[in-house]
Amino acid sequence: MSFLQLDTIKKTYGDVSVIKGVSFAAAKGEFVVFVGPSGCGKSTLLRMIAGLEDVTEGHLYIDGKDVTYEEPAKRELSMVFQSYALYPHMSVFENMAFGLRMAKVPEAEIKTRVTEAARILHLEPLLDRKPRALSGGQRQRVAIGRSIVRHPKIFLFDEPLSNLDAELRTQMRVEIAKLHRDLGTTMVYVTHDQVEAMTLADRIVVLRAGLVEQIGTPTELYDRPANTFVAGFIGSPKMNFIKASVTGVGSGSLTLANPSFVGGTLSVETVSTGRVKAGDTVIVGLRPEHLELNAAQPLLSLTLDFAENLGGATQLYSRSEGDIVAIVVHGRPDVKPGDTLRVGIEGRHIYLFDANGLAL
Amino acid sequence: MRSKSGILLHAIGLVLIIAFSLFPFYWMVSSSFKTQAQILASPPQWFFTPTLQNYADIFADAKVVNAIINSLIVATSTTLLAVALGTPAAFALARYEFKGKSDLWFWFISNRMTSPIVLALPVYLIAMYANLLDTHIVLILIYLTFNVPIVVWIVTDQFKSIPPDLEQAARLDGADQFTIFRKIYLPLGAPGIAVSAIFSFIFSWNELLYALVLTRRNVQTAPVVATSFMSGYELPWGKIMATGTVIVLPVTIFALIVSRHMVRGLTMGATK
Ligand SMILES: Nc1ncnc2c1ncn2[C@@H]1O[C@H](COP(=O)(O)OP(=O)(O)OP(=O)(O)O)[C@@H](O)[C@H]1O
Ligand SMILES: [Mg+2]
Repeated sequence: MSFLQLDTIKKTYGDVSVIKGVSFAAAKGEFVVFVGPSGCGKSTLLRMIAGLEDVTEGHLYIDGKDVTYEEPAKRELSMVFQSYALYPHMSVFENMAFGLRMAKVPEAEIKTRVTEAARILHLEPLLDRKPRALSGGQRQRVAIGRSIVRHPKIFLFDEPLSNLDAELRTQMRVEIAKLHRDLGTTMVYVTHDQVEAMTLADRIVVLRAGLVEQIGTPTELYDRPANTFVAGFIGSPKMNFIKASVTGVGSGSLTLANPSFVGGTLSVETVSTGRVKAGDTVIVGLRPEHLELNAAQPLLSLTLDFAENLGGATQLYSRSEGDIVAIVVHGRPDVKPGDTLRVGIEGRHIYLFDANGLAL
Repeated sequence: MRSKSGILLHAIGLVLIIAFSLFPFYWMVSSSFKTQAQILASPPQWFFTPTLQNYADIFADAKVVNAIINSLIVATSTTLLAVALGTPAAFALARYEFKGKSDLWFWFISNRMTSPIVLALPVYLIAMYANLLDTHIVLILIYLTFNVPIVVWIVTDQFKSIPPDLEQAARLDGADQFTIFRKIYLPLGAPGIAVSAIFSFIFSWNELLYALVLTRRNVQTAPVVATSFMSGYELPWGKIMATGTVIVLPVTIFALIVSRHMVRGLTMGATK
């Protein structure tokens, strides 16, 4: 049996259904990331795992045991809150020791464990300080330290890095990844930052409006998104979507029409030719980083709207018949607004979705 | 940037306000060290040789000493009980949903809408039938009905400002409700508890109406005794002022001690 298992978990507040049936299982030691837009129910799901919210329907198992109605403390989990939720009147040491005190761990053992956590998180010089005398990153570390000392079965993180500045966020991200590698504990991590999801996760659970859209490794989600929502959510900048109509169905390929295709049509190889017929609309997905300028065999003809210089790379926003197509290129191409761009892409990088947004 | 004259005006204003509020106090304290003739002198004597006679007189008077002891007993007990009863109630009101919560809340607020004098007679009758007249208990009980709502009000508000995440973190850390109350809410609610304790103490210390109505000889409190000097043919100003000074002292000391807890920003650093 899986280490952490959610079996059609539902949550309603009054009449409002927030989680509409989520099933999912994680193996021991796995790093699972919940992603999804704001309000999709990530925190709610995490808090149900923690036991801070009642489960309306469904079952939750940890380490083979049904803990759906178990007290939070008995689940042997620890959580790092979106707001760090440090005890402001206690020193860093006492913040970390609090849970151990509650568990009646002997004083000597408390000292050992807190010192150990402080060493891992570089908090040793700060043990006597109060949280208000710490920087954001240090508070974050204390919050993580408070989780570590209890040797929990599962770590839960609710957007732990969302309020840190960009540099600190990257640094803490790396530290959390290291922590997972060193401790080997199962972790469930909530974020709406897809970079955090991609870099930290063994597996990503993409949520939308209380439902799972797709579960998979970061690479799976990037390479084979189940639908346009996942395709648009994973990857940055966002995938470009162009609507096209099917004009011909061959064996193993489709001919698609849209005015921005060079010559008005585009031939795409696919195995799912059976699911569309001539006259249908499909959605073509193109990742900005896969598009190339001045390709030998251009497939798209676009007009440049404006360009953003990112230093090492340039982000081009171009237009075709009402669709905006973003392109990321290395260096600084010599183009100016109004120019016609002839853009190419490798055939294997073209994503196809049906009119409802499901991958073909 | 504030201009120099702005700062000057600000300072002058502050000095005037301080002088205005402290002058009666000064008058009381300085008069308590004067003889009757010095007090009544016109123009007032700013410089005089202080005398301790008034204090010697009042402390020789068992009535005054007893009254101060009575006041201390009543005010301290009331304050301790009001805080002990009010803070758990405030915790429940701040953090839990339960049936009748809004009615209870309204009762706490409306309780203070009635003028005390309206209730004086019914309270007197109840105390008489309960055989409680002229006891410490009756004063403590009646003051509690005024002070518990104040504590509940102020402390509920204070407790509501504590981030709920803290409580949940503590729950995950294995703390039960009582531990959460004791280890998280009481220390972080200290400023509100301190303010309400000061209010409670001052109210109980200064209360005159019920103290007059409900006590006789045994449990007279300090304000009652202070007014009792004003019944003779000649007003003994020196003794009145000395009693006043002695009455003000405990409240001031209590407020100074407790106000150390009235710091802002206790929850700073809890969240980002
Ligand atoms: N106590 C509550 N009563 C009613 N609705 C609630 C309650 N708590 C949360 N919700 C609703 O549940 C939905 C999911 O909330 P949740 O906090 O889980 O979102 P989230 O995915 O964590 O969002 P974010 O990324 O903004 O943190 C939201 O639409 C929210 O309004
Ligand atoms: Mg959230």
